[in-house]
Amino acid sequence: MTSRILAHIQKELLLLLRDRGGLALLYLMPVCLVSIMAVVQDAPFKDFSDKQVLVLYRDLDGGVVGKQLLEGLNDAGPFMVTDITGDAGTTDAIFQERVRTGEFQVGITVPSGVSEVLVKSSDAVVKGLFGQIAGDSITAAEPDSAFVEVLIDPVVKKAFRELMNAQVNRVLAGLSADRMLQDMTTQMENLTGNDLEPLRIQEPFIRVKQRMAGIELSGTHVAADSTQHNVPAWTIFAMFFSVVLMAGNMVKERDSGIMARMLTMPGGAAERIAGRVMAFLLVCVSQATLIFAIGVFLLPILGLPALDLQAINWLMLLLVTLAVGAAATSYGVLVGAFSTTQQQSAVFGSTSVVILSALGGIWVPLYIMPKAMRTVGELTPLNWSMEAYNAVLLRDGNMAELWPYLMPLLIFTAICTAVAIFAERITSRK
Amino acid sequence: MQGNVDIRVRGVVKKYGNRAGNAVDHIDLDVRSGEFLGLLGPNGAGKTSLISIITGVRSASAGSVLIKDHDVANVPDVVHECIGFVPQNIALYEMLTARENLSFFGKLHGMGALKIRQRSDHLLERAGLLARSHERVGTWSGGMQRRLNLITALLHEPGIVFLDEPTVGIDIQSRTAIWVLLEEINKAGTTIVYTSHHLEEAARLCSRVVIMDQGRIVGEVTDTKGQGGTERLEAVFLGLTGMEYRDH
Repeated sequence: MTSRILAHIQKELLLLLRDRGGLALLYLMPVCLVSIMAVVQDAPFKDFSDKQVLVLYRDLDGGVVGKQLLEGLNDAGPFMVTDITGDAGTTDAIFQERVRTGEFQVGITVPSGVSEVLVKSSDAVVKGLFGQIAGDSITAAEPDSAFVEVLIDPVVKKAFRELMNAQVNRVLAGLSADRMLQDMTTQMENLTGNDLEPLRIQEPFIRVKQRMAGIELSGTHVAADSTQHNVPAWTIFAMFFSVVLMAGNMVKERDSGIMARMLTMPGGAAERIAGRVMAFLLVCVSQATLIFAIGVFLLPILGLPALDLQAINWLMLLLVTLAVGAAATSYGVLVGAFSTTQQQSAVFGSTSVVILSALGGIWVPLYIMPKAMRTVGELTPLNWSMEAYNAVLLRDGNMAELWPYLMPLLIFTAICTAVAIFAERITSRK
Repeated sequence: MQGNVDIRVRGVVKKYGNRAGNAVDHIDLDVRSGEFLGLLGPNGAGKTSLISIITGVRSASAGSVLIKDHDVANVPDVVHECIGFVPQNIALYEMLTARENLSFFGKLHGMGALKIRQRSDHLLERAGLLARSHERVGTWSGGMQRRLNLITALLHEPGIVFLDEPTVGIDIQSRTAIWVLLEEINKAGTTIVYTSHHLEEAARLCSRVVIMDQGRIVGEVTDTKGQGGTERLEAVFLGLTGMEYRDH
């Protein structure tokens, strides 16, 4: 029995080595996919961490608000600010057009008189406060309000808009607080007759400290970026896409009479399927090795982050790769067992893998999908595969944490293989 | 008739899905050791279905098949050790060389590497394929592929060989080579069951010809060899099966 399974494995690998189209499908296509998709998804994955939001800026006020807002935006990080203050050629219409056409994602105008409103409003609030302390019966004047205009490119997504508002509001709030502290200092000097150091809040008293709950490397953390997502994602896709080749070969064997010949030889469907699954399991491991190597060596050349494997548990990575490969190959034999033509196996095999990969979080992470899609996606073997890889590559998971993803993959493998063997026994001897 | 019964078919019926009638309809047949039996009949007569059931490629709807006293349905692996089957199609991997094909199918029969090599050399030489045995089968002519298709079934030296139209679509040279090879192994004691549409081929090779029509055995001819054998066979064949087309 073992020698027959080995014969099937050897035959499958020989056939694959001679099949240039098949090799391209199994190795070249995923290499192209991971490179292209990692580059394409690099920007969305970076989110707002790099300077990538193009901001057109003009200050019609010339006061403290415009100056400090510009400084605040430049210091914030994600904004690439082009200051056209003083450019007489840029009319309101031209300014708006440059944003509307997408040349800039955001246009910020500091209108004339904003700084004066800031001064007056702060003065009114502080005088009102100190008037109450002094027991004056005079009611403080209501503070004025003014607007900094933020013009947004219509195609910019909501998250960018919210980030922009938050950033501008943060600078303006800081500016208002600074101004009030300055006015309060002046009032205190008037009350006490002493010269006081002007108060200024450099940083908020309570700040956010963010860190990743995952693998830590030399003080930094491995986090999801385009490479960390796309390398395991397209490895999984490539493994499952081998269904096209596996199922096609099975149909070809039936059509050519090879199956009829094998049915008159010792050995049964279980040996044939086991041989095929094991051969393609080796193929899956080689695919994973290649695509991970692309992540480590090629993607950095394309300007992407390198795949970080320094602190991972290699044994767990191998275990996950074997489990994903087993699930993928068993799906391949299942499709092959039920396909009646090569065209059917190719179309159904490829389409089903594309759909399952979209649902399973291969194209984009599952957490950004709507709830209903997430629920469906969590039931797909490609999502279990993705989560298993994430557990090893990002979450620093142990075996206990890996098990919830490995278990369904192994059950899926067992069911697909058993059904494929049963179906082949039935259909081949009809 | 002499010798033991190698193949015993009793009451075999084959029905395909909802198709009207039986493809094989209550067939009883004995094939003795060393016989060269021809199964002849018009298209759709049930020849391929019967041979598929006897070899275990397909299951019967009813009835039993014993090969060397072993039930094909119950102990297929025991039966498959002693039979060789040449399907109607070229049942070979085109992307593999002749030797790689022989090696793969030999291993499925549990043969060791040395034995496979020795048998491959002998059969490839015998079929005139040795010189090109390291080429991929897909690059070969139809005649060469047919010859390899045949010797693949002979690799493990089976006592019984089944052939389903083994000389379809090949030139006279390859056909003659196949005839000579079959006559040779039959003389050495191998039982052969084969289907064909070529009456002159059956007349030359077979010690007995069974004629099938509409799933049943309708006649049998034993004296086909010698002068006028083909004409006698043709007369019996057309007398039993008629002149109508069998357009199924």
